[in-house]
Amino acid sequence: MLIYRVLWGGILLSVVLIFIGLLLGSLSPGQLPQTPLKPAELATALVSLSPAGFLALGVIAMILTPVARVFLSILVYLEERDRVYVLITVIVLANLLFGIVLGFA
Amino acid sequence: MFPLGVTLVALLVAAILAGVAGSYLGIGGGILLIPFMTLALSVDIRVAIATSIVGVIATSTGAASVYVRDRLSHLRLGMFLEVATTLGAIAGAFVAILVPDRNVLFILFGIVMIYATGYMVRPGVATTASDAKVTSRLAARLKLADEYVDQADGTTRAYDVARPGVGFGFGAIAGAVSGLLGVGGGFIQVPLMTVVMKIPTKPAVATSNFMIGVTAAASAFIYYSGGFLDPTLAGVIVVGVFAGTRVGTRLMVRARPGMIRLAFAVLLAAIGVLMILKAFIPGLIV
Repeated sequence: MLIYRVLWGGILLSVVLIFIGLLLGSLSPGQLPQTPLKPAELATALVSLSPAGFLALGVIAMILTPVARVFLSILVYLEERDRVYVLITVIVLANLLFGIVLGFA
Repeated sequence: MFPLGVTLVALLVAAILAGVAGSYLGIGGGILLIPFMTLALSVDIRVAIATSIVGVIATSTGAASVYVRDRLSHLRLGMFLEVATTLGAIAGAFVAILVPDRNVLFILFGIVMIYATGYMVRPGVATTASDAKVTSRLAARLKLADEYVDQADGTTRAYDVARPGVGFGFGAIAGAVSGLLGVGGGFIQVPLMTVVMKIPTKPAVATSNFMIGVTAAASAFIYYSGGFLDPTLAGVIVVGVFAGTRVGTRLMVRARPGMIRLAFAVLLAAIGVLMILKAFIPGLIV
């Protein structure tokens, strides 16, 4: 049930953020981004309420939802004292983090 | 190129239709949206792939949450195979970014599309139980024997999982195709689980959906940081697919597609041929 809530919560959060971004973008033409924001630019974009900030945050929320699910699964397997699956899940999370690090390198 | 507004509205409509068709016919949105973006809207194929991946996560996560709630997904098997699919996806995304000739992606996409058409026309006989009494040492060690509740008649059915090692190897290939071409890859994973691993159809579909989101997330980071992910296009796709999937799931409960499925398959195969031709005739369509 926890996993179900995380998955749904992630989608809803993402759809709402993207919707705000697209709405802001259609109100002020010419501001819709075509390349992804770098993490460092995200804070300023959000403070200035630019469509790019909301869109980037929505897309990142969508990508991170499965990652959050994997992280939670580690906690679940830890609680069940299932050592084999704690290990397997940690490897999956490590692969995902490896993808992030590799991408920005 | 069209004005941005026209492109976005066209893409929104296409994403809604892809969401409806995808959940109705059992194929993901990516296989429809990437040809639409590249052939009709002249979006760069790498941008289309990167953008589609986000839509794939949205579709999979939405469906997966329902399957998890209904206890159809085999969570342990999914996690085990995700070790392989995530690594495959990372490798696939890297190849897509680094491959010097974009036309290679068009040709590969066309081939995979035609293959997926075959899967759509002949999805295989639906099975409810694994007849083979399979107990490999690895499957026992990974506690892969599981059960699911069949909602058709409310009975609980136990099943075993055959050949987890072979499944793991093919999982890496499925992940690589997903990361390389921006599709979910259910058309590889579902036959892998039903035919090779002898899992009943319903949990196979549910587990595949459950894995696709994590697999796609692995390559999404690489496309994002590579600068290929267009947040505006991705945003439109997420909203469109989200709306379309909710309609399609309701349709699926009511009707059994027969002729529609066949007509659609012919259309898909034709688009697959167009994708291959696009590699040789750059000015094709747009």
